[in-house]
Amino acid sequence: MKPVILFFLLCLLLPVFLVVQDLLPALPPARERLQLFPVLFCFGVLALPLTPALCFALIASLMQGLELLQFQSGHAETGVAPYIVFFLCWTVILQMASEATHGLRWELHALASALVTFTMLGGEYLLICAKRGGLPLDSVLLMRMAVPCGISLLLAPLLYFLMRHLVPLSSEGAVLKNQASFDL
Amino acid sequence: MKKLQIAALILLTVAGLFFCLLGSGTLALMQSGLMSFLSPLSQSGHTVKKSLGSLGKDLLTLDQLEAECSRLEADNRRLRAENNGLRDLLEENNHLRQALGYREHSSFLLTPATILSHDAGVWWSSVKINRGAKDGIATDMPVITDRGLIGKITSVSDNVSEVLLITDENCKVAAKVEGTKEQGICAGPRIASGDLHLTFLSKLADLQPGQKVYTAGVSGGVFPSGISLGTVKSFHPRELDGEAILEPAADLDNLEEVFIVTGAK
Repeated sequence: MKPVILFFLLCLLLPVFLVVQDLLPALPPARERLQLFPVLFCFGVLALPLTPALCFALIASLMQGLELLQFQSGHAETGVAPYIVFFLCWTVILQMASEATHGLRWELHALASALVTFTMLGGEYLLICAKRGGLPLDSVLLMRMAVPCGISLLLAPLLYFLMRHLVPLSSEGAVLKNQASFDL
Repeated sequence: MKKLQIAALILLTVAGLFFCLLGSGTLALMQSGLMSFLSPLSQSGHTVKKSLGSLGKDLLTLDQLEAECSRLEADNRRLRAENNGLRDLLEENNHLRQALGYREHSSFLLTPATILSHDAGVWWSSVKINRGAKDGIATDMPVITDRGLIGKITSVSDNVSEVLLITDENCKVAAKVEGTKEQGICAGPRIASGDLHLTFLSKLADLQPGQKVYTAGVSGGVFPSGISLGTVKSFHPRELDGEAILEPAADLDNLEEVFIVTGAK
């Protein structure tokens, strides 16, 4: 499949994943929420060449930022800027990792999904604490981050194997990446 | 690197910077646009989830019936299954009648709404409802059920609104304790646990588990007076004030039908 078609397909899947993760119930015992969005983000960023991957990351960050945006007395608490920076940084890192492993691999996708989920939740928490003051830390906090991270790790291969036929993989992927060349 | 790619990267950087510098007003409009864009998906997803949920319930009931009546005749099993289906309908009917009765007897002007989804954000407690600006909904309107306060509207699009639940740290409610002169501020903890924290109480407050807590209704505030918030679970004095842990009056994990307070009668 051509990168441009894959790009549009992934962009269409973004709102679907956003809605589906909202519809999924919280998991007991600490009411952890499943995070499907980072799994799709990682797949898209690893599968696409650099420029479309950055475009995809920008769209994904805007959607995620706007979805989670909270207003206090008419003022946005976090804004979308942190999400843009976060998703673009991870895009560059994952593109480099993809280059190093000669294309998209399921192990890389699973590991990246877990790491992106964990750092996104951690970053959100630090941002909230910076805005509201104080930094409460307890075991529930770790659970809230670790469980979605673990579930992303388990769900990533499922998405990968569902969508693998859409993208060239491993050594074939390197050919596709070379067309976009990463050497900035 | 090709010229086209360089141009695309420059464009992306400019676009990224542009979005980073947007003000709260523009972000609110963009969020409203996203909610409108996602609302058909959310509504369809909600319908599918409800159908799947009821299917699961029926299957579970059938399983239980099969276990209980494994030695009974086939007709007997079919009749029991039918009876169960009717009981579900009766329960739903009673629930809706109760909600309708509450709406008629309430001293507020209420707009009924259905919960579409719970937001997946880990650090925020909010839900989406199927009412928006087209139904006369505006930000800061309180949202309640027949059991008590749920939260307030924070974002509105044409057909969908977002409700910040009282278990969120940002949803602060002035509250008073039944049978005492104690007043405080009620909000959820930062890492939401489902409980509410009532702070700024007197250190010597004599609060007992089970005492009810209501909204205090301060002038110029969002929430009217006298709406049930929850019941006291425990009380402990802190360095400067007293804090009570409350159990919310409404079951915030299993919300289905809610009412938006659009005014007073």
